[in-house]
Amino acid sequence: MSDVRKEFTKGLIKDNPVLRLALGLCPALAVSATVFDALGMGISVIFVLTMSNLIVSLMRKAVPPKIRIPIFIVVIATFVTIVEMVMAAYQPGLYQSLGIFVPLIVVNCVILARSEAFASKNSPFISIIDALGMGVGFTFALTMIATVREILGNGTWLGFTVAPSDFQPVLLMMLAPGAFITMGLILAWFNWMDDQKEKHLKATFMLDEKEAK
Amino acid sequence: MDFSNLLVIVVGSILINNFVLARFLGICPYIGVSKKLDSAIGMGMAVIFVMTIASMASWIIYYYLLHPETNIWGGYDLTFLRTIAFILVIASLVQFVEMVIQKTAPALYNSLGIFLPLITTNCAVLGVAVLNIDENYTFIESIVNGIAAGVGFTLALVLMAGIRERLELANIPKALQGVPIAFIMAGLMAIAFLGFSGLKVG
Amino acid sequence: MLIVRLGLILMFITAIASGTLALLNQHTSPIILEYKLKQQEEARQEVMRSQGGVKFEKVNSEEIGEFYKAYDEADNLVGYVSIAYGKGYSSTIETVAGYTTDFEVAGLKVTFQQETPGLGTKAVEVKKGDRKPWFLMQFEGKDATNLAVVQDRGNIDSITGATITSRAIAVSVKATAKEIKQAVEAMEKANDTQMDTEAAALEMNGEVTP
Repeated sequence: MSDVRKEFTKGLIKDNPVLRLALGLCPALAVSATVFDALGMGISVIFVLTMSNLIVSLMRKAVPPKIRIPIFIVVIATFVTIVEMVMAAYQPGLYQSLGIFVPLIVVNCVILARSEAFASKNSPFISIIDALGMGVGFTFALTMIATVREILGNGTWLGFTVAPSDFQPVLLMMLAPGAFITMGLILAWFNWMDDQKEKHLKATFMLDEKEAK
Repeated sequence: MDFSNLLVIVVGSILINNFVLARFLGICPYIGVSKKLDSAIGMGMAVIFVMTIASMASWIIYYYLLHPETNIWGGYDLTFLRTIAFILVIASLVQFVEMVIQKTAPALYNSLGIFLPLITTNCAVLGVAVLNIDENYTFIESIVNGIAAGVGFTLALVLMAGIRERLELANIPKALQGVPIAFIMAGLMAIAFLGFSGLKVG
Repeated sequence: MLIVRLGLILMFITAIASGTLALLNQHTSPIILEYKLKQQEEARQEVMRSQGGVKFEKVNSEEIGEFYKAYDEADNLVGYVSIAYGKGYSSTIETVAGYTTDFEVAGLKVTFQQETPGLGTKAVEVKKGDRKPWFLMQFEGKDATNLAVVQDRGNIDSITGATITSRAIAVSVKATAKEIKQAVEAMEKANDTQMDTEAAALEMNGEVTP
């Protein structure tokens, strides 16, 4: 059971695909202008990631190693197309605003990386857990960037007005530079937190040594 | 042949809607391979090459095999297979380019290292193929757009590499070192490129 | 031989994938098509509401493609509807445009755009208490063949920070209006001559008394 929890939680912060492994950066920047788009993209990625991890894991013994990458790509592309069709039919507004980034889920490195590094070596159940963890971590990172950008750039969150009425939106946050700068600062913040933790650990360690003496 | 139209596409893809700095395509190699100028140039050339051929191949496949009005199967709509078809074409193309470079330019092959196979998952390549279709470009326009998109990508990559080589010598706060400062640099470059959005062509 | 076997395996998997997608496509493609048709029909109703237009007749013109003639309940011609395509900042903007018979703008509705969120998308944003986007409302009642944004010394206030989007809509609607006006005038001319000849023919037969 602790194994399951470990595989799930590692994707959230410790090995967060976007913030730690620097995978899937394109959608993280491109569809993070509004929280709604970010959640839509996140859910699509969770679906594709889970299904492709499941299928890849089920096929892992039958797949000849030489052509495993093309096979993974076909599997992933199939689920991406399913998302594309279903979204176009039932969520046309979201489909329009995500635009080209729906078919581009295929080349979201997070998905291929999990197929190759995890699902092709592990049992179906644990692969699904891994996919859910990574997918939720991806969605979390996207939503975090989108929260900063939507509040500063438009004064809203998920479409609801949150800023005071005399708030002057920072238009730059909605544009490409805002995405890059937000991403850079969030990554720096994560690095800084790591540093603090390390320093703290070192300090307690030295304290322990002193006491031992 | 309308040349002003092609000029609009070229200027649009390189400057106004730069693939990296305005469309957010190809961010992974943009951050990953921009530490050294040499490898940035090599990567850029490989991407231009792959993008050009991918634009051609994907256009032909889309209009002759998938599109209901022009395909050779006589009207059956197979456009829903677009994503699968394109990614398979690109994957095989990259494999081919990798083999050619390995044979003809081993030095280049060594310096690009693991990033050549990564062109497959470079969303800029699939992105240009899909954009060509979404924008209803003709065959010639698609090729031109493919080249221009590759040049735009290379431009952003090489500029970034140039800056990052200098940054090595700068004293940056520890938390910002590496990838975070690269993103902030990219943000500043994107601000500069926003200036092109007022450009009127044609 | 190995390569053949590998190729066959890959082909087999691709075939299964394509088959699955084909099945799903049969289910979703009618829904997508229906949504598009419904969206277009609703847009036509909306842009002609101010003129009372409720019925639409498709006209296929060789020069400019198709557009619609709008009629009210009593079958009087009240205007024309067409789709205008304009190159915006990051997408081709599709606007359903309604014109009165005098080619004033009756109403506009943007049916497709992928502009920058928070900037270009303001073109479709509805202010609190309004029923339509403010940007599109200002077009109403203006001469459709003479539209331009303020930056081009025109009469349309553009969206702050999204001049390109604003310009794309104004320019494309204007261009489409001009085309339809020409086409309509050409058709009327043709109709007139035809009616004249018919009337003349009838007169000759003595069936019409002046």
